[in-house]
Amino acid sequence: MSSDDHGDSSTATDSFTIPLRPLIEKRDRPDTLPVEIAQINAQWGTFRGVNEDQLRAKIQEEKDKEGLEDEEEEGEKPAGEVDSAERLEQLYKRRAEITQFALQAQMETMFALDFVSLLLSKHAPRQAETSMSAFLRKAVPLGSLNSEIVNPPPKPESAAQDAKAVSRGWRLQSFDSAANKLLKSASRLETEVASETRYWSEVLAVKDKGWKVCRLPRERQALGVQYGFLEATPIFRDRGLASLRRADDGSLILDKGLVPSKSRRVRVRVKVNDRVTGCSKSTSSTADGEESIETRILQARDTVYEEELFHELVREARIMGSQGVTTRQNLIRFAVSEEQEIMLDLADTDLESSSEDTDVIDSHEDDVLADAIAHSTRILLCYAHRQNLRRRTQPPPPLSQKRRHTPEYQLLRPILAYLQHHSHVQWLESFIKDMYGVLKTAGVECDHTANLFLPVNPQRKNHSLPKVEALVQGFLVPLESTVSGSLITPQSPFRVRIRTSLVTPPFGTNYDISMTMPQHPGIQPPARVGLRDEAAAILTHFMMLDVVSAVSSYRPQPGADGHLTWQAAYPHHGELLTVSPTTGEHKKKMKVTLARGEMTLHVSHVRAADGTSTRSQTWKADPIAPQQPGLMEFVADVSME
Amino acid sequence: MHELLLFASVPHHQHHELRQQLAGLTAMQPRHRLERRLIFKAYRKPGVITTRVGASQNVQGVDLQRLNKMLNGGMFYTQVVGPVLHENFAAAGVTRGEGGDDPDAAMSGIDESQKDSFSNSSYDYESQSWKLEFRDIPEAGTRSAVTARLMASAGLPKGDIIEPMNAWGYGFVTEYVVEGDIFILNDIVIFLHRVLQYPSESADPHVPRRQLPPFEQMTPLDKSGSYVLQAAITVQDGGNQETMRTASQHLFGLREQLRSAVRLEQADRLSLDTRAK
Repeated sequence: MSSDDHGDSSTATDSFTIPLRPLIEKRDRPDTLPVEIAQINAQWGTFRGVNEDQLRAKIQEEKDKEGLEDEEEEGEKPAGEVDSAERLEQLYKRRAEITQFALQAQMETMFALDFVSLLLSKHAPRQAETSMSAFLRKAVPLGSLNSEIVNPPPKPESAAQDAKAVSRGWRLQSFDSAANKLLKSASRLETEVASETRYWSEVLAVKDKGWKVCRLPRERQALGVQYGFLEATPIFRDRGLASLRRADDGSLILDKGLVPSKSRRVRVRVKVNDRVTGCSKSTSSTADGEESIETRILQARDTVYEEELFHELVREARIMGSQGVTTRQNLIRFAVSEEQEIMLDLADTDLESSSEDTDVIDSHEDDVLADAIAHSTRILLCYAHRQNLRRRTQPPPPLSQKRRHTPEYQLLRPILAYLQHHSHVQWLESFIKDMYGVLKTAGVECDHTANLFLPVNPQRKNHSLPKVEALVQGFLVPLESTVSGSLITPQSPFRVRIRTSLVTPPFGTNYDISMTMPQHPGIQPPARVGLRDEAAAILTHFMMLDVVSAVSSYRPQPGADGHLTWQAAYPHHGELLTVSPTTGEHKKKMKVTLARGEMTLHVSHVRAADGTSTRSQTWKADPIAPQQPGLMEFVADVSME
Repeated sequence: MHELLLFASVPHHQHHELRQQLAGLTAMQPRHRLERRLIFKAYRKPGVITTRVGASQNVQGVDLQRLNKMLNGGMFYTQVVGPVLHENFAAAGVTRGEGGDDPDAAMSGIDESQKDSFSNSSYDYESQSWKLEFRDIPEAGTRSAVTARLMASAGLPKGDIIEPMNAWGYGFVTEYVVEGDIFILNDIVIFLHRVLQYPSESADPHVPRRQLPPFEQMTPLDKSGSYVLQAAITVQDGGNQETMRTASQHLFGLREQLRSAVRLEQADRLSLDTRAK
């Protein structure tokens, strides 16, 4: 910035600039084609307007014009021929002139060269000698000419004044622009510092919140934040790292790379008879608009968790095809009971709140169920992560060529098992309640107890497990419930055990009915009944047998005469015959029919060919039914001869 | 089975830092480990014929044959390893120093060494579980830069081990304790440990101790207190070149990752010689 710089800069623009960018060189040959096209367009109009006729006309025109010119030239020719000799002479003269000029110019340059060479030969004789002419070399000794700086004549006062004024002006201008430059860069630095400070303070805030901040493995100079889950499947584990970039104003940008920044979650919907009756609620309700970096990290974490959850759900659903689970590209669907269906899909959170009309939610009665399922899947995935950590920190098995298969996590299976079990238990309870209702209206004293959701092997509990894991583990073992009850005959209790397991065989739900029948010791219910209807049939049959044996064990009160007793003739058909204490012959026939919610006793004479009953009594499990005689009262009544 | 190993020496002042680095690298809490190690030396019992039995050899399984060869062929030193807990050492009456169980490991709830920590602090020799660990001398002339050796492990009966070992032709030589932390990185087991010696005034050197001295009285074999970092991969089939190569690649990967902290390298073959002369 000294004053002697301005001599150089005078060639440049008036402001004193330091070129920071390389100069953009102009191309030495500008592309002529576009220019030409533009020119043609301007001159002739667009190419679209060109047609053959026009072109022909144009060509003709050209031809005509040329013809005219030719004619004109032809017309001039005779005049030219007249003084051709004169022209020729003129031509020669001109040529001679040009040659003379050239020769003179060459001579003068040679002189100049010789002069300079001679002058330089004083200082650099070897170099100067090469450019000297042979004549000069011969004629004059080298170094015979010298130059010296002489003091120039003093400039006039006004000129010096002028130069001073100009240089002062230049200097002032340079100082000014330098000052501007400095101020500009100072303010730029200031904003830079401010944004940098903001960036780092935000990074620190993120770190203080407990997030893991680290250098990116691929990009060593950038910072990243880890929000993913270390125990997730590798693809999702690696996605749990995003870089923290700096925006121009210094705010943090969470850069997740190619992953779309939409937030998604697994949505659970309950469908009953093709009506959506429940939908799980969105857990994260982030405020729109001003989102802090913290919420964005949280949202990214949730999304990666939800996506992993769905991935694992689909993986598990694929192996559960045999249990009625179907998968589409973005939907898992399974039926819990005949009318109830559960659907799981991965939905965008923002989309879902705005466009609820696409999936009409008819009612909200099953929202609790949907929420429960949604929470369960997440808890189970968390548990699977813990199991992964446990597996990972155990000494590994020896390396071999077999690839270790990662088993599917248990996410859907426990839920499905629970729901299935629950529905079966509910059905059984209502069934038994109905049956007992009938018996109660018939005046039979009996009771039942239910032990629901028993732990299968309580003694196997591992005490070293943390409480959380032990809690979840109770959910993963096969589920078992028992319902036991007593019947009319006091020696014949029964017990129904329902067991549901979707992880270990036997798969599905099984009923295990055990009963003791003193009257029919040879009868055993089939072990492991899989179907509800079968179980119901067995239980109904068993109760019918019980009623039959209760009737057959009826004894008249001592002292009462003419009473008959009953004998089970075909107990499996519910048929009894009277035995007269005196004659021993059969007079009356009784048929017991028992169905869910209804019991009927028909009494008829044996001889009645058509079997029309003389008396019958029906009990229904209806509390508002009028007062009816009890079973034993009826039996006592019909036992009269 | 084969074992591929790399070793590094860790000076005492670096131990804490390296422990943290390894915990970060493997993303797990260190699993603290205390092992009693008894050294047995094979001897040829007078009258025991070690010649081949002939045709019955063919009937035996490959593993059994190998084991027979191991037990009868050369003469080797073997180790009997028994895991112990800090609580098993006699109470010294002073506050427990750095020997105390790592609070982090306890918090994670993964460490199974936590169970019966409250049962009793005394040591029950009769219920001590043991494992026999056989290690061959490292393979010679391998071009790769890892130590590879044949290995085999087998469970042993609990309690007094001298009698069965004697019956198999092994005599008790000496014992020591190994203390350290285990980290697991995929297939690699990283064991950062040091050897502790029993106090010299303890009794009878011809049988293993039935009681353990206070932990504070144990002295490190290396007086400077330095640790050994051992990275190991076991390979099921040592004859399979591909798995052996994969295993050494994994080890080299770890060596690269730890390059700025420690230098993992091959051990001197003869220093790991287990042959009994």
